[in-house]
Amino acid sequence: MEIHEAAAGPGDGVLDFSHLNLNTLSVDSIREERKRDTKQLYLNHNRLASLPSSICFFSNLELLDISNNGLTAICEDIVGLRKLKTLIAKNNRLDEFSLPKEFGSMQLEVLNFSGNRFEEIPLQFVKLQRLQSLSLGGNRLKSIPAEIENLTSLELLYLGGNLITAIPPELANLPYLSYLVLCDNRIQSVPPQLTRLHSLRSLSLHNNLLTYLPREILSLVHLQELSLRGNPLVVRFVKEMTYDPPSLLELAGRTIKSRNIPYYPCDLPAHLLHYLDLASKCPNPKCAGVYFDSCVRHIKFVDFCGKYRLPLMHYLCSPECTSPCSSNPQSDAESEDESSVPADRLQRVLLG
Amino acid sequence: MEHTEVAKPETLDDLIKMLHEIFKSDNINVEEVQTLMESYESKPQEWKKFAIFDQYRYTRNLVDEGNGKFNLIILCWGEGHGSSIHDHTDSHCFMKMLQGQLKETQFEWPKSQGDMVQKSQRILLENKVAYINDSIGLHRVENASHTEGAVSLHLYSPPFQTCQTFDQRTVSRHSH
Repeated sequence: MEIHEAAAGPGDGVLDFSHLNLNTLSVDSIREERKRDTKQLYLNHNRLASLPSSICFFSNLELLDISNNGLTAICEDIVGLRKLKTLIAKNNRLDEFSLPKEFGSMQLEVLNFSGNRFEEIPLQFVKLQRLQSLSLGGNRLKSIPAEIENLTSLELLYLGGNLITAIPPELANLPYLSYLVLCDNRIQSVPPQLTRLHSLRSLSLHNNLLTYLPREILSLVHLQELSLRGNPLVVRFVKEMTYDPPSLLELAGRTIKSRNIPYYPCDLPAHLLHYLDLASKCPNPKCAGVYFDSCVRHIKFVDFCGKYRLPLMHYLCSPECTSPCSSNPQSDAESEDESSVPADRLQRVLLG
Repeated sequence: MEHTEVAKPETLDDLIKMLHEIFKSDNINVEEVQTLMESYESKPQEWKKFAIFDQYRYTRNLVDEGNGKFNLIILCWGEGHGSSIHDHTDSHCFMKMLQGQLKETQFEWPKSQGDMVQKSQRILLENKVAYINDSIGLHRVENASHTEGAVSLHLYSPPFQTCQTFDQRTVSRHSH
C-alpha cells in the first residue's frame, strides 16, 4: 500500500501511519522537507517485518512508535536519528540480538520494549546515559544485570511480568529511581541495599515469592505506594535460629567495641583494624552490643500506618537479645513503635 | 406484548442523556442500565479528554455528576495498576471497559477469622459491563497487562463517596 502524505495532519510535525495494514514502508513519495519537519512518526499496528533503512531521512525525529508489528530486528540506520528521544517498540518479536551494535550511543530518554522476547537486558541498553524510562514488561528476562547502575538518569524501571529471580544490589545505585515495578516475577528476596533508593515513590512487588522484607525498607522516606499481595509472606511469628556460637576473634572484637577500649593503628595489625571497623550495632536499643559475623536472623512484624502487618527481617547480636521495644520475643502481636511508619509517609500499601 | 426497543446511544453524550432519563426514577433496573451501557460502542475521541493517566497509580476522572443520583467516572489504569479489595457501601456499581482489559477478582464477605475467600475471577473485555453491589460481595480490579493501559467507565448510584478496603490475608478492614 502506498503512503499518501495526506494521511497525516499538515504542519504539526506528526506523521500517523498507524493501523494501515502496511507490509512495507516506502517513504519516497514524502517530500524531503516533510521528512525533515517530522518530529513524531507512528508506524504502530501494521505488518512491517523490518524497519526500512530510509528511516534515517527523518533526521529531526524525536518520537518513533513501531509497536505491534512483526519486527525481529531493528536496522542500523536508526542510530542515525540523533534527535530521537522516545522509541516505543511494544509487542514485536525482538530480543537482545535484535539491536544494532551502536544502539547504546543514541540519545534516548524513553525506551519501551514491553511484550517482546528479551531473555536478557542487552548491554546496548545499559549504555544509554540519558535514559529516564525503561519498560521491558512482559518479556522473558531471567535476571537484571549489575550494569543497570550505569543508567544514572533512570527514573522509571518497569520489569513486571518476567522470570526474574533476584534483584541485584547495584540497582540501589540509581539516584533518581522513583518508580520500580517488579511484579509478576519469581523474586525470593529484596536486598537491604535498596534502602539507598531515596527517591523511590512507588515499589511494585506483587505476585512474587517473597516471605519477608528487609527491615531497611522502612527507611524509604518517600515511598507512597507499595504492593506486596500474592507473595507467600509469613503471617505468623517465625524465629529462625541460625546461630553459630561466636569465635574468639568475634568475642574479643565485641568486648573492645562495647567497652570502648581505646586502640590505635600502631597497636594492631591492619587486618584486625579492618575487622574492628566492620562491627554492626545490634538494633535492640537496650543492648549496646555489636556483632561481626555471628548473629541471629529474626523476623519481626511491623505495622504500616496501623494497618498492615509486614514481616521484616533483622539481625540481633545473640538469641538472648530481644527486638527493640519487645519484652517477649515470642509474641506475634508486636508493634515496633520506633519504626512504625506514619500514615502520611506510606499512603498505599497493597497487601490485601 | 411487544418490547419497546431501547434506543442505542451513538455517542457518550447520548449515553449520559439516557442515563439521566433512567435515573429520574428512584428504582434502578440493573439489567436496563447494564444493557444501555454495554450498547454504547467506545469511541476514544469522545472520552480522551477525561483519560488522564498517572505514572504511579490509577486515576479517577469525573465525567458527570448525574443530578446527585449517580456519578459517572472514568478510571485510567497504567500497566500493572490495581485497586485494593473493596466494598461498595450500599451502592450499585457498573463498570464498562472503554479500552484495554481489566481483571476482576470477587471475594466473599469475610467471616471473623481466616483468609479471605476468592469467589470468582474474570477478564472484562472492551465494551463489556460488569455489575457489583455489597450483596454480591467485594472485589479487586486490576490491569494485569504489562504492555497496555486500560480505561474504564464507572457508574455509582448513589454517588461514590467512601468505601471500605480489606486485607486479603488477615481480614481486617479500614475506611477510605
